[in-house]
Amino acid sequence: MAESRMGFLIDTSRCIACRSCQVACKQWNKLEADTTANHGSYENPGDLTPNLYNRIRFIEKADGGSMKWLFMNERCVHCGDAGCMKVCPAPGALYRTNEGFIVHNKEKCIACKYCVSACPFGVPRYGADDKVSKCHLCYDRLGVGKPPACAKACPTQTLQYGPRNGLIAKVKAAKKTVYGEADLSGLGVLYVLDDKPEVYGLPANPSIPTAIFLWKDVVKPLGILGFWGSIAAVLFHYVTTGPKQIEEENQKTGGDRHE
Amino acid sequence: MSKYVERFNTRERVLHWFVTVTFFTQLLSGLGLFSRLFVGYLDLFGGGQGAIMVHKYAGILFLASSLLLFLNHRKEISTLDDDDRVWLSKLGGYLSRDTYEENNGKFNAGQKLFGIFMGASTVILGITGFVIWFPVLLPRSLVQVSLLVHGLIFVLFIMFVIVHIYLATIGNPGTLDGMLWGRVSRIWARKHHVKWYKEITGQEKAS
Repeated sequence: MAESRMGFLIDTSRCIACRSCQVACKQWNKLEADTTANHGSYENPGDLTPNLYNRIRFIEKADGGSMKWLFMNERCVHCGDAGCMKVCPAPGALYRTNEGFIVHNKEKCIACKYCVSACPFGVPRYGADDKVSKCHLCYDRLGVGKPPACAKACPTQTLQYGPRNGLIAKVKAAKKTVYGEADLSGLGVLYVLDDKPEVYGLPANPSIPTAIFLWKDVVKPLGILGFWGSIAAVLFHYVTTGPKQIEEENQKTGGDRHE
Repeated sequence: MSKYVERFNTRERVLHWFVTVTFFTQLLSGLGLFSRLFVGYLDLFGGGQGAIMVHKYAGILFLASSLLLFLNHRKEISTLDDDDRVWLSKLGGYLSRDTYEENNGKFNAGQKLFGIFMGASTVILGITGFVIWFPVLLPRSLVQVSLLVHGLIFVLFIMFVIVHIYLATIGNPGTLDGMLWGRVSRIWARKHHVKWYKEITGQEKAS
């Protein structure tokens, strides 16, 4: 993607789990509240929902004799090579903005839910309206020069919006590792993690699910080839070997041959 | 004596054409879901959601009718005899202009294998289709594999259907009569399925 690609950095080491991002997102995108239950963790809600585009994941990690908290903002990471866009059959239901982020349009969504199966991060959700929903990084704010609502609300600069290359350079200058720099043609949302990706529930080497790759990049093109190949083969057979005629019976029964 | 013998009775013919109609409904409603190249086909059903709905419910009709067609003929296609093996070794004589004396029962070996493939494919398409119907409730990996297998079997299915249509029409003149109005000429029956012809007429040589 172009040099002008924008990026979004989540520096988990700065996060204090205030969840301002969750609230700001709900407010800007006018998302309904979900009813949740306490499952013995401060984490709330416990998962992304059709009305929750981003949330703070609370990871409780044993640290010597005590416990350590790891906080991570979980959301759509806007893959450069996106499984959801690869499989979506409805034009315009998922599209990429000039900034490089992936936006959904509920009016164009046909509710096939292929994106749910194709997402390497398990992000897209379907609600009562049976339409796709996920983080679109406030494309309606970026267009008028404002940062995403979550980044605007973040008090610790855990969430930063800016030119993607600039964000990566800044992380590297601080001698930290970026998650998602090159995976899937580069993620639009980059992470700085305090531990291994798996600890945060992120795949170490994210990729398009194998079955989805085989379906779209192998079976589909070979299938179209097979379709036209079959038609070509039967036509070729017709004009070379030809059909099985039933003419010779006339000879056996002694009749005249009319050709 | 009539020039014709009965090959498929009314019930068999109606069922065959019912399967045909449901198959092409599935094809047209599914193409736009298979690839964005065929997105225009979705409009035939009033858009993507309409196409998906038709694909699901016509799919049930296809599954039921195609399975019934297979079960009706399962005894006739489930065993291969020595003559079938000869047919297979010569590939039915389709690769040469020189004809050979075929000694086929009601169905030749190719038709038997085609029928078995159709039956098996119907079951696989049905199972994977139901999985894809509930992508959020069922395990992700199961849905992913089902999407792949559904697409793969569809591709093989359409290729077999193309060959089936060719062989049953211009590839073997006279064959289509059996499925259109039920009867085939005695000459046709003696050439293509002489063992079957002897069985139903109880004679060695037709007059």
